[in-house]
Amino acid sequence: MIEAEVTVKNRAGLHTRPAAALVKIAAKYKSEIYLVRDKFSINAKSIIGVMTLAAEQGSKLLIKADGNDEAQALQELINLFDAGFGEI
Amino acid sequence: MRFDNLEVMKQEAIRVENLVNSPAKLTPLTGNLGFDKEITDKNLYRPQLALAGYVGLFNYNQIQVLGNTEFHYLNSLDEKQRLNAIKTLAQFPVPCVIITNNHQPPPEFLEICIENNIPLFSTPFETTKTFYLLSEYLDDQFAPHVVVHGSFVDVYGVGILFVGRSGIGKSEVALDLIERGHRLVADDIVMLTKKRETILMGTGTSLVQHFMEIRGLGIIDIRQMFGIRAIRFQKRLEIIVELEDWDQQTEYTRTGLDESFTSLMGVEITNIKLPIFSGKNITVIAEVIAINYLLRTYGYNAAKVFSDKLHDVIKKRSAGPTRNHSEQRLISYFQADVE
Repeated sequence: MIEAEVTVKNRAGLHTRPAAALVKIAAKYKSEIYLVRDKFSINAKSIIGVMTLAAEQGSKLLIKADGNDEAQALQELINLFDAGFGEI
Repeated sequence: MRFDNLEVMKQEAIRVENLVNSPAKLTPLTGNLGFDKEITDKNLYRPQLALAGYVGLFNYNQIQVLGNTEFHYLNSLDEKQRLNAIKTLAQFPVPCVIITNNHQPPPEFLEICIENNIPLFSTPFETTKTFYLLSEYLDDQFAPHVVVHGSFVDVYGVGILFVGRSGIGKSEVALDLIERGHRLVADDIVMLTKKRETILMGTGTSLVQHFMEIRGLGIIDIRQMFGIRAIRFQKRLEIIVELEDWDQQTEYTRTGLDESFTSLMGVEITNIKLPIFSGKNITVIAEVIAINYLLRTYGYNAAKVFSDKLHDVIKKRSAGPTRNHSEQRLISYFQADVE
């Protein structure tokens, strides 16, 4: 299992559309992927779960990936966060 | 599915302010003084020896409860001694003091509390009842809880949690059950809280409530669509149903004689592995699981009854000569029933 910390960069935070984009990427991979905020851990393939984090601009999340394709999955998700979900 | 790697969350402290939400009907006597102080211990303490001057082993970080005995004692002292007794207590950083039986504290008590930033509450209940009500509340506030990914439905009054890989159809099963009159507790994000060491209570989150995602449809609101009878806020978890892709290698229960359990935060929960393949109606099976669980809870175990019957027959046969086959029919003589 590998993990990485990411920061929500766009002003609107991890709202519905970015959440959908994130879930879409996570669901492509076979690995188990979790997003953690203050011990609150949710499945990154569940849109309701991702939205439950209600992550605002500046909040830090931990991505955990476990499986054969974990490295690619983690990298693509990090890229998504770094690009501010295409909103910056 | 394993639940031992779940992150167990636990409240480290609650604010004094929250105590007014407890069922102990607490009235603040010092306004909102010290409302932001933290309570880090869920136990309650009666500071009898501390009032008498002995402060060895004094659990000052616990909520201090003063009842009849303490007040009787304070009233028996002269003014100077009483002041001393109260000051002995107040020199410690106690989170708050609760006075039971609606006792009115002497004015100097109030003053010393305000001076030392100690919030003071009164309750109409007697001490034993106050202990009971507050302990129950604090137990809940400090209870360990986890978040699991699954769908939690009340089926015939039995709390069933469906778990399984993303996309296997947990929400769809829940939706189907709702359509058949069962009640949704939470979908996708289920928070389970351990209560009284042996019970897990499940609920959703305040944000998600009874929203649900159906692949290909998007987000729907069960409460708006199906009304209040289709939902509930909390339910005890009784059975975990693991939905999984049919796997030739996995052994599935055939008789149901041996129950299998999963340990979740130290609580044993009945666990059923259910392989999914086309033509299998999971909803109906979920209803049957609930009814069978109810039967067992009420003392009837179908697997055991059948097994016992088989034992009896085998025993009879080994005792005497085998009877002919037709005598094994449930109905030994068919009356005419032809069209």
